Amino acid sequence: MNAIILSAVLGVVMMFSSVLVSNQKAYKGIALVGLLIILIANINETYNGPIFEINTYNMLAFDGFSLFFNTIAIVCTGVYFILTSKQIEKVGGHTAEYFTLIFFVLCGATILSAYNNLLMLFIGIEILTIPLYILTGSKKKDLKSNEAALKYFLMGSFSTGLMLMGIALIYGGTGTFALEKIIPAAASAQGAPAVTAQTLSFLEVGGMLLVTFSLAFKVSAAPFHFWLPDVYYGAPSVFTSFMASVVKAAAFVAFLKLFIARAAGTSVDVSKIIGVDWKMIVAILIICTLLVGNISAVRQQNVKRMLAYSSIAQAGFMLFAIFSLNEMAKEGILLYAVAYSLATIGIFAILSRMKDYTFAGYNGLAKSNPALAFANTVFLLSLAGIPLTAGFFAKYYMLASVMQTGHYMWLVIVGVLFAAVSADYYFRVIQSMYFKNSESENEGQLEENPSNIFKITVVALAIVIILVGVFPNSVLYWLYN
Amino acid sequence: MPIQYYIGLAIALFCIGVVGVLIRRNAIIVFMCIEIMLNAANLLLVAFSKMHAALHPTVANAGIDGQLFVFFIMVVAAAEISVGLAIIVMVYRNVHSIDVNFLNRLKN
Amino acid sequence: MYHLTNILDATPTVNTAGGYLPIIIQLVFAVGFVASTLLISNFLGPKRISKEKLEPFASGIPSHGEARQPLAIKYFLVAILFVLFDVEVIFFYPYAVNFKSLGWTGFGEVLLFVAFFLIGFFYIVKKKALIWED
Repeated sequence: MNAIILSAVLGVVMMFSSVLVSNQKAYKGIALVGLLIILIANINETYNGPIFEINTYNMLAFDGFSLFFNTIAIVCTGVYFILTSKQIEKVGGHTAEYFTLIFFVLCGATILSAYNNLLMLFIGIEILTIPLYILTGSKKKDLKSNEAALKYFLMGSFSTGLMLMGIALIYGGTGTFALEKIIPAAASAQGAPAVTAQTLSFLEVGGMLLVTFSLAFKVSAAPFHFWLPDVYYGAPSVFTSFMASVVKAAAFVAFLKLFIARAAGTSVDVSKIIGVDWKMIVAILIICTLLVGNISAVRQQNVKRMLAYSSIAQAGFMLFAIFSLNEMAKEGILLYAVAYSLATIGIFAILSRMKDYTFAGYNGLAKSNPALAFANTVFLLSLAGIPLTAGFFAKYYMLASVMQTGHYMWLVIVGVLFAAVSADYYFRVIQSMYFKNSESENEGQLEENPSNIFKITVVALAIVIILVGVFPNSVLYWLYN
Repeated sequence: MPIQYYIGLAIALFCIGVVGVLIRRNAIIVFMCIEIMLNAANLLLVAFSKMHAALHPTVANAGIDGQLFVFFIMVVAAAEISVGLAIIVMVYRNVHSIDVNFLNRLKN
Repeated sequence: MYHLTNILDATPTVNTAGGYLPIIIQLVFAVGFVASTLLISNFLGPKRISKEKLEPFASGIPSHGEARQPLAIKYFLVAILFVLFDVEVIFFYPYAVNFKSLGWTGFGEVLLFVAFFLIGFFYIVKKKALIWED
């Protein structure tokens, strides 16, 4: 609760600082202090309970999982602010507003981690995405940014329409929006005379399918991914970074919560109602997503576009959690959120400072900026899932959670195969940095020489990723305490 | 009227919206089709709300949450409209067209 | 179709689906008449298309320029802001219905809601979004 209220209030504060504070440099400071307040309030809530006692009528439920995810999201946003606030200032003349919108996105993410009601799911998704439409189009004169914004907006609101129709059908089938009651068995027990469980679950299954499609849109699972490469490529790099990290993780947490709630607390076999095999649907989504993401990423010549496709591939791995739906999946999605968000933020922080976004643009970076090249290598290795980086354990937890469900060995093998494919395109960047020489030796690859503080933070982030990779329990320890 | 008619009407509206989004090229019209989809959901929610109220005559306020949901959808849709129209105006000022087929600068 | 319970049970019986039949018949006739006359005249009538004929006719005065004049962006901005603030009022409706039962707590919450409203309003005033003259 603290995080939701404070991030909304901080958004308003940032909004007003744009008219009250004239110093452009001050915004970053205000945003960081605000984020620190939210972080402290959230950690305090984890141990001592909320400051704001509000009866939400069980629409929001704050358990250890959601509070811990909030902490992760807030910390990642903080890292993002520290690394890229300089680039945010360069996007356009509305720095404070960009921070405002990011705070609102954070508010949406915290709602999504705690929702317990389909109404809150809808509102959370909307608060998460509407500011992103604006951020995507924030380069007003840049045609690519414009186009990306229009595409993102049209596709995003289309998927919202699907979700609303799904929610309406679920409501028709069950008579409630509460997450723990949207199960057919529970509804027919309430004593609805003329309505049999059969007719009710027909509506409910149809609605559930629509909501699933819509959430697949939001997390860019194939075949609903087609908007993502263009949007990520067209949006300003700083905001792509945020969209690909915290926002994506939040959408996945929402997805996972919906399915876990659906699988729990019912006597019927929810995996197979009226011929719809949910596990099979999710498995098809996973394989499509891994296939499309990896195969397309291999063919790219532009690093930013490659990262867009690789984020689809990573979404495929996160979908494993939605497939297996056990405790390990919950832990895995948190580890994945940490590993993936931090690595993505780091890579984009370096990418947004490059002159040339193609692979050739990275040529010889190791010579001119060894520190940045080292950090970038760690981030890429983490995304590829190489041992001793955080990404390895994230992927390991995902696959292990599937193994726990039993009978699905083939899916694990597919996952491992595609992880191997993904190494190809990540290593091409490393190859460019270390083994190729830049054609224009004296000019350098970066737009301007990065400050020492930036170098130190990036390297520190890389070290954190290695530490998490060596001791993954250091992250999960916080979940249970 | 039986609830089937409402379901039929809502699904028809929804399909009109989906087909419109998929085949029309004018961004404004696509946008209007999305609004039709939202309104189909609104209609269905209100109809179901009434149905649940009739199903549970003894429960106070049965089905009222469906109608409240509609308010939230309307407000969020208004927020979306304002952002969306602003984006469309921005695109129009730069490109002098809102045909979505012109949106191909981002392809390789 | 599955048999779901009739909403009718809770509403007056005048409203049956059968009651709409005359309206549907009338609708079919109206649409059919318009469509058939349009089609028939299209087939039967002579077609002589010349350039003069296709030009817009404005009482014999030659037309110039385009009908679509670019509008000042200010109109758009104000219209959008109006829509936003207008639609938010929708939340007063459920409050008004439950005005008595919610009591002072409800009043406090509505005040909070209005306060958020006003914050947004102050922001747009401060951003000079409502100033007409440039």
